[in-house]
This record gives sequence, structure tokens and C-alpha cells, in this order.
Amino acid sequence: MAVDIQKLAKTVDDAAVKATAIPQLSKKSRMTLKQAYRVQAASIDRRLERGEERSGMKMGFTSRAKMVQMGLSDMIWGRLTDGMLVEDGAVINLKDYVHPRVEPEIAYLLGAPLAGPTTPMAAMAAVEAVAPALEIIDSRYRAFKFNLQDVVADNASSSGYVIGPWCPPDMDLDNLGVVMEVNGRPATIGSSAAILGHPGRSLAAASRMAAEAGEILEAGWVVMAGGVTEAVALEKGVSVRNTVQGLGSVGFRVKG
Amino acid sequence: MTSASAIHQASERIINAYKSGKADKPIRDLLDKGDIDGAYAVQEDVTLWRLREGARLVGRKIGLTAKAVQTQLGVDQPDYGMLFDDMAVPDGEEIPASRVSQPRVEAEVAYILDKDLHLDKPSTADVIRAVAYAAPAIEVVDSRIANFDITIVDTVADNASSGLFILGNDKVALDGFDGRMCGMVVENRGEPVSVGAGAACLGHPINAVRWLAEVMTARGRPLSAGDVVMSGALGPMVPAAKGEVYEARINGLGSVRAVFGA
Repeated sequence: MAVDIQKLAKTVDDAAVKATAIPQLSKKSRMTLKQAYRVQAASIDRRLERGEERSGMKMGFTSRAKMVQMGLSDMIWGRLTDGMLVEDGAVINLKDYVHPRVEPEIAYLLGAPLAGPTTPMAAMAAVEAVAPALEIIDSRYRAFKFNLQDVVADNASSSGYVIGPWCPPDMDLDNLGVVMEVNGRPATIGSSAAILGHPGRSLAAASRMAAEAGEILEAGWVVMAGGVTEAVALEKGVSVRNTVQGLGSVGFRVKG
Repeated sequence: MTSASAIHQASERIINAYKSGKADKPIRDLLDKGDIDGAYAVQEDVTLWRLREGARLVGRKIGLTAKAVQTQLGVDQPDYGMLFDDMAVPDGEEIPASRVSQPRVEAEVAYILDKDLHLDKPSTADVIRAVAYAAPAIEVVDSRIANFDITIVDTVADNASSGLFILGNDKVALDGFDGRMCGMVVENRGEPVSVGAGAACLGHPINAVRWLAEVMTARGRPLSAGDVVMSGALGPMVPAAKGEVYEARINGLGSVRAVFGA
């Protein structure tokens, strides 16, 4: 069955632009995973045509438990553009999202490009800086319900990313405490070990998976390593902060 | 108030479970509903039996230090249990299957005291002054009540579901150890099976020790120099399977292993 990549890309892109929920694409179009990534690429092309610039990549389903829960054997990934960047300390408006959630992450800034399959150690050598980060995820599907192809086509639910102070990558990142607070109270608590046992593995996977789509990770790009804890639904007026051991904090507020 | 004979009946049930090595029914049917003081009276009865039998009291454990777990059991404060000398397992030493009944593991910060904490209202500063050092630790949670069918009174009466405890061998001074932000991971066969951080234990494990010190003084078993305090889980508890190894790492404290015999 023919899958109209461009049409599906417009559907998810329009949903993001208008902040309106849509039915799952998979209800009408039977996509392969490869086609779902092509829909994602085409939806990002629409953003680039509007003047946004590509700024990096995000990894999803990086906890083994989540993978098992979703019945998957690999991670998923999405593309970041500068239009998705939310400044540290900024105020966002719920009107711009469908049903946003936030999760604590760790972000990498690449000082050198990464191309193709690599090892975590080699991948980490390309890292110029690491930062505490928050990802605002916002599935464009009704009730946050989707299958694997749906979520991949919808850019792995990426919607916004917030980066804290960049720190030199001179510490062991394998077991950093992570505390995400909402209005000053801990909402989720975890460790960077939740990301595949070591977040460096996520970066190596990012390089491998980008290559499978014919991309390289460029110097200057940001790579979001994956959620450290479960996500928390955003509500009007809340203040969110993620603190990562040894890296500092990052936060934003939601307009009341 | 629960009658003295009911307290006695409850402690007999738990003592018999220890003796037979077989988990028994819950004890909540014997106590007034939600009678936590009564449950601690049962625990004290069992403690006196252990001491009469020659066990040495070497410390305390704090439980229910995570908000989510408190909510699950319908309480708004932690609980505590006694640590006896025969509950200590050296790091990495195999635990025979006969020594546990329905084991679960959780990673904690252990504090070892070198001063008495006998004050009625100890401050955080008093607690920190009394701590000699911190160590990574694994608590093997276990229950004398079949299938962990516990309410708050069952677990309190049953020594806060204590089983065994394993201390890491590295002694770490509190200076420079970030008790709030320290990352914690428990790995089994190379996979993280529980992750967390210091803040999961009442915001900071020292908060839990301060709570314990005040309560223990009030209950007549004050914390003393030499005591080990297992301060409470930094992440979710994990069921332990026969033959498996669980390694806990706490950032800044090092690592410790629970090795279960087949």
C-alpha cells in the first residue's frame, strides 16, 4: 500500500503548529518503521522551509524498562531544530502545546562530528560539554496514545528542549543523581544510570541511528541523551527545575 | 488500645515464624485498627526475645522514607526496625537461600555513629557531629508475613520488614559527600534495575537519621556510639531472585554487593 509521506508529514506538522491533537496515523496508514522516519524527516523539512535550523537530535526509549514496556528492541530518535529551543528560565505558554509533559535529561554539545557506528568512549571524545536539560514532550496524538510508527513519525514526541549551563565533560557521567522539582518539591528522582546504564551509550546509539538515516551528527549540535525518569504533565503556573549532580540546574516556568 | 495479651499473641506469631523459618499470617487481626504504637510494642517484645537469645543490637534501620511508599501504606512518617549482629552480611559474601524467605533489595546510605545521640530533640548539626562516616549499603528486606501481605501495623510489628544488611567496605567522611544529589543505581547482570538519588530519602538521608534519633530517644532505645543506621532506600525496592547478584553503587560512596545462593 502506498504511503503518502508528504501528506502524513503535513498532518503531524500542522498538528504541532496548531497545537491540536490528531488521531493516530497508524489507524489509516500502515507504515513501516523506515517510512515513519521518512515522515518525520519530511515534517522537519517543513520546519526548515519556514526558516528553522537543525540543531541536533534527541534519543527516546533509552531505558530498558521502557523499551520492554513498549515491546521494542531498540531506541527511537527525533530531530531538534532551533525553533524548539526554550531558553533556560523562560516562560512557556500551554496554548502552544497539545498536552505537554516534561522529563529530566542530560544534553551533550558536540565539538566534533559523529558519523556511523561508534563506541561510547569514542562518542564521548567528540563531546565538548554536557549540561542538565529538560525535554518538553508533547505527542500530537489524542490522549498521548500511539504505536511505534506513530511516535516516530511525530518526531518522537519532541516539542521543546531546555539546556542549562554547559560544563566541561571531565566527570564520570555514569551515576549522577537527578532531581526534577515542580514548584520546588521533588517530582521525580533518578540517576543518569537509567539511560542505558551509562548515558555515553545513548550518544553512541545516536551516531549509529543517525547514520542509518544517512545523517551525521554535526559539530555544534545538541544531543539529548534520553529521559532519566518518567515524565510529568505540565500545568498552568508551575515552575520546573532539573538539578543534576555536579552539573547544576536548568528550569522554566509555565504561564499561569 | 490493643490489650497486652493481644500484643503478646502477635509477638508469639512473629517469633514462631522466625523459629520455623516459615512466614505466617499477618498480625493486624490481633491489633486495633491502625494501632502503630501497639505494633511497636509487638516489635519491642520480639526485640527482647532476640536479646534474651543472645543477639546483640548493633543499629537501626529506617523504612518508608519515600513519599510514594508512605502514601501506599497510608502513613505520613517513616518507620524503624532493629539491626542485630546476626543480620550483618559482609560485602559479596553469598547469602544461603535458607537464610532468606522472600528477599528484596534496596540501596541505602549507611551512617556509622561514633558519638551517642541521646538528646530529646537532636538538630541536624547534632546528628552530623555524631556520624563517624558513611558507607554504601544494601538492605535485604524480608518478611515473616507470607506474601508480604502487610499493612503498616504488620510491617512495624515485624521489625519494619528487616532481613539482612550489607555494608560496603569503604569508609567515607561526610565532607564532600553530596547526600542529597548522589546518584544511586542497583545493577543485576549489567542492567540498571533500580535507580534513584539521595533526595529520595526524605530529601536527604540525614533528615531520616535525625527523625530516627529523636524517636529512639523517646522510645528508650537511643542511638549510641558504634550504632549503624541504615537510613532508607534511595530508589525502588527490587525482588531478589535465587542465584543472582545485585550491586549497588552510590556516587561518592562506592559500591556493595548482595550475592544470593541458588
